[in-house]
Amino acid sequence: MPARDAALEIETVENDPVPLRVRAYGEWTFNGLKARREEILRDLDELRRNPPQRLAWDLTSVDDLDDTGALWLARAMRGAQRFEGTPRHREILDRVSQGLRVPGALGRRFDPLRPVVTTGEAAMRFAVHLGDATVLLGRLVLDAGALMRRPRDVPLREFSAAIYRAGVTALPVTMLVGFLVGIVLTYLSALQLKRYGADLLVINIVGVGVVRELGPMLASIIAAGRSGSAITAQLGVMRVTEEIEALSVMGVSVTTRLVLPKVIALAVALPLVSFCTDLAALAGAMLVSRFTLGITPEAFLEGLPRAVEAVNFWIGIGKSAAFGFAVAFVACHFGLRVLPNTESLAAGVTNSVVAAITCVIILDAIVAILLRNVG
Amino acid sequence: MSAEPAAYAIEIEGLVNVVGAGQVLHRDLSLQVRRDEVMTLVGGSGSGKTQLLRVILGLKRPVAGSVRVFGVSWNDPGFKKVRDTRRRMGMLFQNGALFSALTVFDNVAFPLRERGGLSEKKIRAIVHTKLSEVELEPRHGELLPANLSGGMVKRVALARALALAPDLLVLDEPTAGLDPDRSERFVQLIRRLRADHRFAVLMVTHDLDTLYELTDRVAVLGDQHIIACGTLDEVHELPHPFVQNFFRGDRGRRALAQGEAAA
Repeated sequence: MPARDAALEIETVENDPVPLRVRAYGEWTFNGLKARREEILRDLDELRRNPPQRLAWDLTSVDDLDDTGALWLARAMRGAQRFEGTPRHREILDRVSQGLRVPGALGRRFDPLRPVVTTGEAAMRFAVHLGDATVLLGRLVLDAGALMRRPRDVPLREFSAAIYRAGVTALPVTMLVGFLVGIVLTYLSALQLKRYGADLLVINIVGVGVVRELGPMLASIIAAGRSGSAITAQLGVMRVTEEIEALSVMGVSVTTRLVLPKVIALAVALPLVSFCTDLAALAGAMLVSRFTLGITPEAFLEGLPRAVEAVNFWIGIGKSAAFGFAVAFVACHFGLRVLPNTESLAAGVTNSVVAAITCVIILDAIVAILLRNVG
Repeated sequence: MSAEPAAYAIEIEGLVNVVGAGQVLHRDLSLQVRRDEVMTLVGGSGSGKTQLLRVILGLKRPVAGSVRVFGVSWNDPGFKKVRDTRRRMGMLFQNGALFSALTVFDNVAFPLRERGGLSEKKIRAIVHTKLSEVELEPRHGELLPANLSGGMVKRVALARALALAPDLLVLDEPTAGLDPDRSERFVQLIRRLRADHRFAVLMVTHDLDTLYELTDRVAVLGDQHIIACGTLDEVHELPHPFVQNFFRGDRGRRALAQGEAAA
């Protein structure tokens, strides 16, 4: 037998203290209510306008009742005078009415001190971050010292793997970006310089810019996005799968085994990557100078050492090492803070990349101010 | 054996442990695990069994009280002493916690290589012994943890926990997630290994079958401390409602009957 859709029958009996007889029948379920939804809702609304004492309900012909049907009925039946139905119907209706009585979520009231509290909380969180980072840095230094006394324990495999991952595999994308930035920078400078006939100055501008600033910067921002996020995610997942706990329980120092190789590897790999980025950017610059300004590659290569002092190159390389350390350190810091849940992992990776890039830019600004008279 | 100063594998005294924003989980909790027994920690959900394990393992620092494993506290000065004590202890995490980047062989070899002092050839031999002890074959050594079934992960994790021939094995829900047949075999495995190697066991479990078949003593955790600690018979007699429900409920009685039939 096909299921009957839900329906209502309302009958008025004259000269009775309870004049309205309501009979519900059919499938009072989510699906059963679909067919005559509008009609039933209208009827129920109308019934609610009557004082409940005047209503008598008969649910004996209801074939099936689920939470949706019960919810509709319970709202209309509140305080009804008479009720007929199976004990099971009564039980479902009672349960649903209880749910109806639970007050909705309390709206948060406006609190004038809210901004102060939020600011304070953010400041406290930042302080905790700084404190934890200091502890991690201290542990790294102690571990590095301990490893120097026991060179046999140096995690060489992790170290070389980290160099390969952060260095070699990063080369193609970093060099491509460097090459393109070299082209754009040279093209834009050439347009301006041509006007003043200062064509050869392009070597100075692009040379110093690339070697001292752009090379290290590009390499470390890409490293923050590639290696930084990978490190945070890896440590975070190791927290989720309890691998970090397993290491600790075995008496293996997590900083020595996981953090130190990554930090040192990136500090070693990033100067090499940024050197290659420099080369690619200068190649791009050379190409554009040839076609827009007519400077031959020979002239470009000859002018470069005269225009760019070697100290600029060393500043760039030194900065890259510092940036590499910062990126890996920040990534490890955030990775070890991940709590064993997915939400925290996602937030950790995002924060790690943002914080790493911010750190790199802050460091760069500090170095720029300190070394403003050099080179 | 008598040269050993500590009579207990684990001694906890007056432990106070706090989680989150100052919610007290354990208050004045004391527990001793002897060097030759299987102790099972039971308690309702949320009673802090896992947190207590974390404190015992030194993953979490308690607010007050002392935790000593083989007479050594994790806060003791002396890096070597603490590390050596750690190496006398094997831990089986609930989900195995195998290193996902390493093969089964390398996972089991990890603690051995970490301790040092063994040639690669000897490590190989030990790893294969441990693998065969947990009923795995040498060819399984090449697999990565991602390619293992749940039961195999548990057995590899057990092999890794046993790699350094520990004096204390800590098991967190050793049979959770295993089918009844595998659970039974896992229990038999622990029994057999214990007969061979005589280590102490501290185990957290909800599985009453495992409990009845393995344990010497039971500690019941509830109301922030150890409500009762003793042999199964002693604990059974306690009127505490949790104890009564846990052991005297339908499931408890059934498991008890089976345990007695098996014995």
